[in-house]
Order: sequence, then structure tokens, then C-alpha cells
Amino acid sequence: MMNVPHLHLILNHVPTIGTAVAVGLLLLSLLRRNTELTRVSLEVFCVVALLTLPAYLSGVASGMALQQMPEVNAAVIARHHDGALQSSLFMLLTGAVAWLGLWHFRRVARLSNLYITIVVVLSLLTFGGMATTATMGGEIRHPEILAEGATAPTAAPAWLTAVSIQRLVLDNTWVWPSLEALHFIGLWLLFGTILIVNLRMLGLVTIAPFSAFHRLLPWAALGLGINLVTGMCWVIATPEQYMTNVSFFWKMGLLLLAGANLLYLTGFEQPWSIGANEKAPAFSKVMAVSAIALWIGVMYFGRMLPFIGNAF
Amino acid sequence: MDFIIRLQHTAVMDWFRESGSLVGYPAVLFLHTLGLAAVAGISAIINLRLLGVASRIPLAPLTRFFPIIWAGFWVSALSGTILLIADAEQKLRTPVFWVKMIFIVLALVNMQLLRRRVFADPQLDTQPLSSQARLLAATSLIFWVGATTAGRLMAYIGPVAGLSS
Repeated sequence: MMNVPHLHLILNHVPTIGTAVAVGLLLLSLLRRNTELTRVSLEVFCVVALLTLPAYLSGVASGMALQQMPEVNAAVIARHHDGALQSSLFMLLTGAVAWLGLWHFRRVARLSNLYITIVVVLSLLTFGGMATTATMGGEIRHPEILAEGATAPTAAPAWLTAVSIQRLVLDNTWVWPSLEALHFIGLWLLFGTILIVNLRMLGLVTIAPFSAFHRLLPWAALGLGINLVTGMCWVIATPEQYMTNVSFFWKMGLLLLAGANLLYLTGFEQPWSIGANEKAPAFSKVMAVSAIALWIGVMYFGRMLPFIGNAF
Repeated sequence: MDFIIRLQHTAVMDWFRESGSLVGYPAVLFLHTLGLAAVAGISAIINLRLLGVASRIPLAPLTRFFPIIWAGFWVSALSGTILLIADAEQKLRTPVFWVKMIFIVLALVNMQLLRRRVFADPQLDTQPLSSQARLLAATSLIFWVGATTAGRLMAYIGPVAGLSS
């Protein structure tokens, strides 16, 4: 039976190696002027960004497990956490811009140099941050990799550390309820878009082609982005409410599947090619039903955090 | 209002609030969220469409989504009524509850105006949208943001039913 620190030791390679592979693919595709390969590399960025979420969360859980061990240096863990937080935010931004680039490609049938440039810059920053973070993570259990007397560099601005976010959320009574209001507005933006786009797929409205509905997807991405940021604020503020919470585990699992489902709508040719007055093929319908079911599941387990789990 | 408060202290409501059963308070709270997500979510996207987003989607067929908005509304309204009864003494005295009710009434009136003045127009997709249609779309968005915010704040002002902390 695998425990959470073990899961972290496996997943922690994904953001670092995944980003390196995706950057390599992207640069290679530009060199070869191969649009298809460029799009694949952008999709890899999206998948790596998704998998950064469980890598980060399993790290928070591992940090809590390690706190009980006296031989571990808490300051090294805190630095590793801050590095992970900042590079995960960069990864999230990289994934978001990569997705926007894919979405924009659908609109104009060519890749925008602007998006590609931003992705290259962000991904290099992400890789730098992730590599530094990985080194700091290694030092937790392997102090021997540190040169004598040296400490790994931290590029951390002081306001963007786990502790400063925790203090911001817990020391101001207005922050938590404001995050809640934003999280619910993000929820309905996301779910409203998901319902309309996927009900088109299921045939409720067929008069317009799927491509017309595809234009709505950035609003789903905006809702998802708002909810990832607000949700991360809560996890950082009160990790003990989530890290041993079975509802949270299910919520995150379903969220990853739902995120992959969202990527299908932009990445694959099948949904895009559904024309006006055309019905969607069976596979697209299965994906549409599962999208709606998965997001309802995410909301269910979010709501159940205090009831099935131990939050609040 | 005394009637609602008397209902709060019935055996059914005591069970609903305090049993800890997942089919009690938690299930109704979830249905309230699901209903909200459908009502406010679909309304918001239709409003954004009226404001010019995804303008290749024809407007007239979007009325097909209205029954889902109404289904979501009734799920929210029924579950909300149960949640209100369960915690009536507290909620009826909380100003933010009444603020939420005002926003919901405004949003419903707004939805009816959109239906009658904008979506009933047979030339909806052949002529440019009136400024009145855009205004109604903007106010609808504001009302749903207001109702959601007020609804969330209710959980932080005064003690919360269903949570034994």
C-alpha cells in the first residue's frame, strides 16, 4: 500500500521532467516548422500543469507527515514549500497560456507567435523554479548533496510564501468569506459553460456548429483558474483540513479527470468538426455526459468536505 | 414568520439538522449548490453572449436552455426553503439573508424581462441587439454575483446550522 509521501516521490518528477520534455518538444517543433508537433507540445504543457496539482498537494501532505520527525529540518521543508508554491503558480500560468494558444489556433487555424513566445518564456521560468525546488526537496532527506556551508538559493519574494499567504487568509476575517464568494462565482461560470457546451454536444441545440460554442470555453477556463487560486489559498491556510480528508482526495481525483475532459474539447479534431445541424458522434457524447457528471462530482465532494471529511 | 420558526423545532427538522446523516442536511446543501450552478451559470453565459461573447452562436435557440434554468431554480428554491426552515430563527434575523432575497427577486424579474423583451423578438438574430438588451444582460450578471456573494456570506455571519462546532 502506497502512502502519500511515496506518491509525492513519484509525482514530484512530473513538473520538472515534464516541463523539460514539453519545452524540448516545443523548440524542436518550431525548428522543424511542424504545427502539429507544436500543438502536441502545448497539450503536454496542459497535462503537466494538471499533474502539478497532485504533485503540489501530495507535497503539502508529506510536509505535514514529516513535521512529526525530529531529525528533519523544518526550515528546509518551508523553503521547499515556498519554491514549490511559486513554481506551481508559474506552471499553472504556463498551462493556461498553452491552452489559450490551442484555443486560439482553433479560431484562426494557425498558431499565434505571441502565445508561443509567452509559453517559452514562462516555461523556462517554471523549469528554473521547479529544478531549484527539486534540489531543495532533495536536501530534506539528503543534506549530503549540499556543498559545505551552502544553502540552495531562494528566489522567493517575501509576499509569495506559504506562511505569508496563510497569515493573509487567517489574520483577516474578510479574506475567507471573500474567497468563498469568488469560488462560487468561479463555480457557476465554469459549470454554466460546461452545461451549455456539452448540451450542444448532446443535441439540445444543433442549429449552430460546435465551433461556435467552442468560443465560450475561455469562460470555463477563467472559472477554473479562479477556483484553483482560491482553493490553493485555503489549502495553504489550513492544510490539516484537507490533507487527511477523503472528500478532498475524491474532489481532486475527479478534478483531474474533468480537466482532461476539458482539454479534449480543444485538442481533438472530433468535437471541432461537428457542423451546423450535425449530431455529435457517440464518443463525443460519452465525453459530454462524463464532463457534466465529473463536474457535478467535483461539486459534490467539495460540498461534502465538512461532512464526509473533517474540514471546518 | 412565527410559523416558520415553529417548523424549525419539529422532529423532522431536528433530525435533518442534527442527525449527521448524509441524506439530511449535506444532501440538501449540495442540491442547493447544484441548482445555483445551473441557474446562475447558464444565465451568466447567456448574458455574456448578449454582451457580444461567442457571437456566432444564434440567440433564438438559446431559449432551449430556459427550462434547465428553471429546473435549477426550483431545485435551489426548494432546497433553500428547507435550509431556511432548519435555521429559521437565525437566518430570518440576518440582514444578509434579506439582501440575498432581494438580489434573487431582481434576478428573476430581470430574467422575465429578457424573455419578454429580448428573446420574444422574432428578429432577434437578424437585427443588431438593442442597448436595452445589453443593459438587461449586464444587470442580470450583477444580480447573480450579488445573490451568490450574499448567499456565501450567510455562512459566516452568525452560527451555521448543520455544523457542530
